[in-house]
Amino acid sequence: MAPATPSPEDSHQQLLDQLDLTLKPRPFRNQAWKPSQRRNKNIKQIIAEASRKEASVLVTQDNSGDSTPLPPTSTMGTGAVTPLPTNGNAVHSNIAQAAQNLSTMVLEKNLQIAKSSGPIATYTNIESAPSLHPAHQKHYCDITGLPAPYTDPKTRLRYHNKEVFEVVRTLQQGQAESYLEARGAHVVLK
Amino acid sequence: MTVTSTRYLQAASETEVISDRDTAKPPPRLWYAAEPPFKGYQAAPSGGFQQSSIDTAIVIDNGASLVRAGWSFDKRPRLSFPANVARYRDRKLNRTVSYVGYDGYADATTRGQIRTAFEPGSSVVTNWDVMEGILDSIFVKIGVDGTDGCVNRPILMTEPLANLGYPRKTMTEIIFECYSAPSLAFGIDSLFSFKYNKGTTGLVVSSSHTSTHLIPVLRSKAVMSSVTRLNWGGSQGVEYLLKLLRLKYPNWSPSQRFAEYQAEEMIREHCYVSNNYDMEVSKYLDWSGLEERDHIVQYPFTEHTVIEKTAEELARIAERKKEGGRRLQEQAAKMRLEKLVRKEQELDYFKELQGRLTNQTKKEIRRLLDEDEIRDEVQLDKTIKELEKSVRKARNKDVGGPENPEEEAATFPLLDVPDEQLDEAGLKQKRHQRLMKSNVDARARAKIEKEKEKARKAQEEMLENERRENDLEGWLDERRAARSAMLQKLKDRERQKADLGNRKSLASQQRMKTLAALASDQPGRKRRRGGDDDSFGANDDDWTVYRTVATGEQSDDEEEEDLGAGLKGIEAQLLKYDPSFTEQNTREAQTDWTKSMMHAFLRGPRPFNPESQQELHQIHLNVERIRIPEVVFQPAIAGLDQAGIVEITADIINQSLSKPEDRDSVLRDIFLTGGNTMFSGFDDRLREELRSVLPSESVVKVRKASDPLLDAWRGAAQWAGEPGFKQSAVTKDEYFEKGSEFLKVSISVAVAACLQALGSTLTIRQEHNLGNVSFLQQA
Repeated sequence: MAPATPSPEDSHQQLLDQLDLTLKPRPFRNQAWKPSQRRNKNIKQIIAEASRKEASVLVTQDNSGDSTPLPPTSTMGTGAVTPLPTNGNAVHSNIAQAAQNLSTMVLEKNLQIAKSSGPIATYTNIESAPSLHPAHQKHYCDITGLPAPYTDPKTRLRYHNKEVFEVVRTLQQGQAESYLEARGAHVVLK
Repeated sequence: MTVTSTRYLQAASETEVISDRDTAKPPPRLWYAAEPPFKGYQAAPSGGFQQSSIDTAIVIDNGASLVRAGWSFDKRPRLSFPANVARYRDRKLNRTVSYVGYDGYADATTRGQIRTAFEPGSSVVTNWDVMEGILDSIFVKIGVDGTDGCVNRPILMTEPLANLGYPRKTMTEIIFECYSAPSLAFGIDSLFSFKYNKGTTGLVVSSSHTSTHLIPVLRSKAVMSSVTRLNWGGSQGVEYLLKLLRLKYPNWSPSQRFAEYQAEEMIREHCYVSNNYDMEVSKYLDWSGLEERDHIVQYPFTEHTVIEKTAEELARIAERKKEGGRRLQEQAAKMRLEKLVRKEQELDYFKELQGRLTNQTKKEIRRLLDEDEIRDEVQLDKTIKELEKSVRKARNKDVGGPENPEEEAATFPLLDVPDEQLDEAGLKQKRHQRLMKSNVDARARAKIEKEKEKARKAQEEMLENERRENDLEGWLDERRAARSAMLQKLKDRERQKADLGNRKSLASQQRMKTLAALASDQPGRKRRRGGDDDSFGANDDDWTVYRTVATGEQSDDEEEEDLGAGLKGIEAQLLKYDPSFTEQNTREAQTDWTKSMMHAFLRGPRPFNPESQQELHQIHLNVERIRIPEVVFQPAIAGLDQAGIVEITADIINQSLSKPEDRDSVLRDIFLTGGNTMFSGFDDRLREELRSVLPSESVVKVRKASDPLLDAWRGAAQWAGEPGFKQSAVTKDEYFEKGSEFLKVSISVAVAACLQALGSTLTIRQEHNLGNVSFLQQA
């Protein structure tokens, strides 16, 4: 005998089932799609990888004159035409080397463009620089947020008046540090 | 002279303030803490897919706070939900479940599993599983039927300004390989919003959920070389407020954490941009008008139930008590009466016996006495006397007769008689009398002493009065000195109490030393030097050593009270005789909560009752109301080492724009968009501050987007219907044929195309910068 009215848990479960995305048909997805397990990277990783790649490419570029048997004429200037391996040397027809030539060419072309049009806006370089304006270095009380003419030498907290100072002196251990952290002035151990 | 006059002036103004403080503040207005933003089950809006054609784009504003999605023909986005997914394995159901957006707030379990798609504090997608869940949900809810196993519509998406290469590549991969969309284009939300609000040249100030961007736009194309990002947005503001609240109320009940959605709500409801921050903040906790500035947020609480008794009940209880007392009294009286009667009977009997004894032989007397177990006639006499006395006493008590006059006439005749003349009983008697006599003497001595003390006090008072009358200043100085000494003592005591809480403090170390010295068997150094003559205790201060040893609460109170009472006495004297010492100068008035700035900061303009659960669950927002939005103008407040938006704007205007006419036209349209610019007063403040840093003749116009939240989506939807979208979108075929290198190029062009759509005529060339970023250059 089923109960006439569903219990609260049952109705909540029903609601959850209604909301659950996994129960809904999603025919538009490609069944064969298998994403890489390690595709989630944080920004730090992404930037580090990118700059590593950049650095390694720059090295290749520097060495390009030595590693490429062809004279540098092929890389500068228009760079549009790949010189033909006319001397019939087996080494030069090596596909890997040809690919290297190609990538060098692309890089140099890019470099040239970059030179001609100034710096490129990137995620890292559009960040605003530190403030240089002395008027913006105002001090505010760490506890109340009011203007703070004083600093406690012991905790390095800024405070507004003697009443706040009493509070500063009765802070529990670690609390002063969290106040500093809110202002980004805490000590970071590495 | 001037000094004294200012002092009086100050005192006068203080009285005014005090009288102001005495008036009760009106009852507080309460705001309630936000509930989890769960919206219940919402049926997907229907009919979109049927209405769409193969060319209708799905427009997704992929924002870090809210994802908005809909068809390009919609007037407003069909869907708007936070970019998070709660995905976990349910043990009871034994399957994986996932709840997207607001659905994730359904209950405590799902709330605990919420993960967001974006890197915290940035608008870059880093969790791709969550992102796929969000996209799935969007396609399901806008009605993509997927009959041919793919999302058969072009997609237009927003991405952060100067997006990194990897997230863009991954997003493209997902769109084409998982959903098999026919084409894809990316654009920038704030520029879409600018376009929708018909802007062509100006400075776009976009302060959104995770960051603030400033983008100068000249003739419908962004000047990418001077685009600037400030790493502060709504989410950072939320984090900052949470930090401040945790510090402000460290003893907040652990059952109710401050949640992010609650902080968001608080910022939305109560924060505003101050027009003159420094001036306003320094007056924020002032008494006058504090009730306007102090906003109270009430968290849910359960009142401890105190059973309230009605007056009637109380009266009944008192009556019952009285009744009980009366009954007891009656009983006692009855018993006393019975005893009295018994004693009287006994007395009568003994008296009659005494009467019978007279004129009897010795032998007969002996017999009669033995019958009653009495030793001899003397004892009989004594018994009779005692009985008489007690009967009289009992009668007096009941009837209230006159005091016994015999007591005063106590004589001790035996004391003068030498021992030799007394027998054994006499000696005993004499010892007893001596004891009695010394007792009486002591009482008399005490009486005299008391009298003397009284006289001495009177004398002292008289002397003091005399001194006061003769030399008021000197006397007052003495009193004042005594008062400050007492205050100092109180302060010291408080400090010591506080210090003992800290194990590393000097006071604690001293205490351990004292304890060790007391526990050791060897006599201390002092003892050795001073020999055995130990004068400990002669000085009152010696006893404070016990105060340093005892840490508990045990003995503090009485002494505190002593000091407090002494202080009160002195203050009373000062009040009476010192004209410059008024009610406001007393310690009580000084430590009054209405004077305390910290009280205003923590508890607002009303008294705080630590017993009240309601008041314990209240948050007072005051300085925070302007402190949070201020960070965009002064990032250093929150420890962000970047320039504020005014400084950035000035830099862009003065350094990046070379032509004066460009400068002027940009300044004429400073365009605010994004949720973090919605604070009231944001535009006024920006205008004011810009005026102060720019040349006086320059014309500054600041305007807000008509809808700072949705205009980005609307602009994108608008553009999706224009030919520019089709040209710049990457098709699936291009993706599969030409690979990632081409892809990046094309997509970047699509971004540029968004700018082109604004009417740009210049050639836009993009750049793939060695794997890292970069997508757009203007030649």
